[in-house]
Amino acid sequence: MKLARLDGLVRHLILAGFSASIALPLLWVLRVSLTDKLTAYRLPPEIGQIGLHNFVEVLTQYDFTRWFGNSVFVAVLATAISLPAAAMMAYATARYRTGGWPLMMMVLSSQMIPPIVLVLPMFLVFTTLMPVPGIIAITIAHVAINLPFMAWIMISFFDEDTRSLEEAARCDGATRWQAFTRVTIPVAMPGIIAAGLLGFILSWNEFLYALILGNHSSQTLAVGLASLETHAGVNIAPLAAATLLALAPVLILLPFLQKYLIKGLSLGALK
Amino acid sequence: MAHVTTMERENRRFGWLLTAPGLVLLAAVVLFPIVWAGITSFFNYSLIFPGYDDFAGLGNYAKAADDGEFLHSAWITLLFVVAVVGIQFVAGFVVALMLNDARRGKTVYYLILLCPLLINPVVVGLMWRMILHPTLGIVNWLLGSVGIEPVNWLGAPDMAFWTVVLVDIWHQVSFMVVLLLAGLSALPAEPYEAARVDGATPFQRFWHITLPMMKPVIVVTLLIRMIFAIKTYDIIYIMTRGGPGVATDLISYFIYRRAFVSLDLGEACAMAAMLLIVIAGLTAVLWRSMRQVQD
Amino acid sequence: MKKYMLSSLSALALTAVAAHAETVNILMEAVPDTTYIQELLPEFEEATGIDVNLEVVNYAEMHTKLVPQLVSNSGSYSAIVVDFYWVGEFFKAGWMQPLDDRIAADGFDTSVYVPAMMDLVGQVEGTTYMLPFYNYAMGLLYRTDLLEDEANKTAYMDAFGTELKKPETWDEYLQQVRFFTKDGSYGVVNQGLRPDPIAMEWSNYLFAKGGEFIDDGWHATFNSPEGVAALEDYITNLNDYGPVGAASFSFDEAFNVFSQGQAYSYITYNFFRAAVDDASGSAIVGKGEIMGVPGQTPEEGGSLNGAWGWAIPKSSPNPDAAWEFLKWVESPEIAKKRALLGGSATRLDVFDDAEVIAKYPQTTALKELLLGSHNFPTFTYTPQFVEVLGRELSLAVSGEKSAQEALDAAAAEFDELAIKDGRQE
Repeated sequence: MKLARLDGLVRHLILAGFSASIALPLLWVLRVSLTDKLTAYRLPPEIGQIGLHNFVEVLTQYDFTRWFGNSVFVAVLATAISLPAAAMMAYATARYRTGGWPLMMMVLSSQMIPPIVLVLPMFLVFTTLMPVPGIIAITIAHVAINLPFMAWIMISFFDEDTRSLEEAARCDGATRWQAFTRVTIPVAMPGIIAAGLLGFILSWNEFLYALILGNHSSQTLAVGLASLETHAGVNIAPLAAATLLALAPVLILLPFLQKYLIKGLSLGALK
Repeated sequence: MAHVTTMERENRRFGWLLTAPGLVLLAAVVLFPIVWAGITSFFNYSLIFPGYDDFAGLGNYAKAADDGEFLHSAWITLLFVVAVVGIQFVAGFVVALMLNDARRGKTVYYLILLCPLLINPVVVGLMWRMILHPTLGIVNWLLGSVGIEPVNWLGAPDMAFWTVVLVDIWHQVSFMVVLLLAGLSALPAEPYEAARVDGATPFQRFWHITLPMMKPVIVVTLLIRMIFAIKTYDIIYIMTRGGPGVATDLISYFIYRRAFVSLDLGEACAMAAMLLIVIAGLTAVLWRSMRQVQD
Repeated sequence: MKKYMLSSLSALALTAVAAHAETVNILMEAVPDTTYIQELLPEFEEATGIDVNLEVVNYAEMHTKLVPQLVSNSGSYSAIVVDFYWVGEFFKAGWMQPLDDRIAADGFDTSVYVPAMMDLVGQVEGTTYMLPFYNYAMGLLYRTDLLEDEANKTAYMDAFGTELKKPETWDEYLQQVRFFTKDGSYGVVNQGLRPDPIAMEWSNYLFAKGGEFIDDGWHATFNSPEGVAALEDYITNLNDYGPVGAASFSFDEAFNVFSQGQAYSYITYNFFRAAVDDASGSAIVGKGEIMGVPGQTPEEGGSLNGAWGWAIPKSSPNPDAAWEFLKWVESPEIAKKRALLGGSATRLDVFDDAEVIAKYPQTTALKELLLGSHNFPTFTYTPQFVEVLGRELSLAVSGEKSAQEALDAAAAEFDELAIKDGRQE
């Protein structure tokens, strides 16, 4: 009994310590977002004049809502398109060794090349296909960026346990596709969710393609926030406010995915 | 080998049907740019005079291999990748293990650790530059209040390297946690039941059950993280621009300068190709070891 | 009769097309003037019916974003702003449209521009490609309250036997830097980040020491004894008389040290003078002034010139509309309005305007600064040279190379680039 409680205590200490090291800088950012540049850099730190003026400034004087909307559109759409394609590809490789390792290597190698040398030809291709590459171009580019990683992540989740479950389903008369969708996918859900989440994050933070392939109306958060570093220095207080504004909605939405996350996370509670 | 059964033939066809959409998507978008970059690497192609008149053969490759700055950059990148991936893996695995067995507060911890991942690298760099400002930043002030001299976080060559490593860890360790946690939660319960019955200690359970079963997820996590680490350039760009001196001149930033500052795209493509070969080699080694486990 | 009808119909059609909202897209950097232009835009849109979209991007990304746009045959920007270091590159690659014909046709007066501006961001080898937009010459920002303080004045007189006043020579400035480094304050704060902050700041030191970048034959001369002395002065200032960490400060970090009142001086871009009086970021409102960087004698100066110019790219989708915009934004009335809002002037008529001077008394000082400034060598490979120079200077500052070695290495690479560009024999 005692050992179990000690065990739990240690666990929470580690988790709390880790969370603190993540959260403390963010709390400082929160503090900066409520003051101004002068107070942000003044030492010893004083309370100064607290207010929500930076948040108001970000929402009214900058195109924040458009940047945010664009980022959400691109990230959600790119993930929605690449996740199924990646899952299928991963499954084919894991179960049927389709293409063997050369195929998977080729797929991943597209991501081993620094994007900087690919962006110019990609730009030229898009400009011949559409007059002004914009949000669609960025989304398409992000699909191609996410796919290889998502596929590789999911491969390791389509393993021996799912194979036996599929075989049972096939014996009951299910087709390969039905076995895949009704048996394998639910069981491999933690991996699929993790891959989807990471793909979303990759797209959300992506900068280079959003910069080069985008235009005025398609500026994403990554590009838009960078413009707060002006020629005359960084507008640190509005930037802090904008960072938190960008974070908040996503964190609020995540609990809706909680059902899947917790189910996935609690499967491990049995160990 | 026996004749191919209908079952096997159907399996193979199904496999290709599944792979097709992804392949088509990828090929449509990146195939042309990759081939273009490959071809360009064999020419003296400058963006100022774009044209394929000047064939250079392996000239760009030889020039890169001979370039001291490029090689130094490769070396710094190697150190960076080893430091970042190593530390993040160990820390991330510990946190994932703890989080896996936690009964309460799981959602709260998870949401907190997701925060850094959702902030883009440019903003992370700017925020940390503010926090780590040697005379106006909060960290040095806190250190000063316990009597420690102001640390030259980004201005001293050795310190700058470790500062960049630390910022990258803060930003990306959760990536490891998310993947490893997903892997842990997908592990079956039976082996653990059996082990408990046999009286195995937690450490024995970890070493003999968890680690081997997690090997595929571990390998993929390390691989993907390694690839991202090699491509790091936003953090460097914002925090140090490769300096002070050349202490943090990572290779992606180096190639970026070659392509967009010097406008020598031919050379940049050759360097990218060389990088690709190295990464592909490492990947092949890791992939083979993963395949062995699954067989 | 038919011909008359046809031509008037087509004229009507053309007018209809022109009157239909045409859009001019411009890529700009987040300089204060961008905001002022944004505020004045409704006037232009009303007068011409042309919509203007100003896309603002961080400086570091501008060049990266522009290059694919310029290389391609059809870009999405009607007009662009060009930083002085890209001028040579853009000219060599043929990315800008010549403007002489348009200037002549519309009688646009370019003689009002300060000649140094036209040289830097106006004409290249006799043809006009740009209209100077924004000036960011560098100067010496210093604390007036520290100079006026009686205790300081007495201590200085005791220590050096001369009066404490605005420095008239470089050596006098360095002496003041040493004097003011005491009691937790610094004599100077430097921006040692690679590659532009350190390269641009050091250029002032070079000119102040009487050095030059090149001779008439485009041979590198900055590794001369004056250059080495300039670098040694820089290293001493940064390491001994400035705050910890200046070796990786960009203008933001350095200016914050100055505006929090921790340093006596800061050699930087002239637009920071206005930021000193911004209460939301400055603790020294009303206590800072700017002057040209002092040189070897009171008559010489060491300031580095810098500017942006408007240009119409070859890949512009609507060059005529772009030219309409340029004519408007650089017209005397609008240039004056921009200056009254706080913008940076490039033209003598604005610098000498009584209203502007009344509102911003530092205008005259800024004009002197500009007139006394030196140009950085601009040629096709300037960005690459700035990268090399920045790297070598940074290596010298962090003690990994001696000043002479660093400058020699940079000079050797400069010579290679100059030969490659066909400028050196």
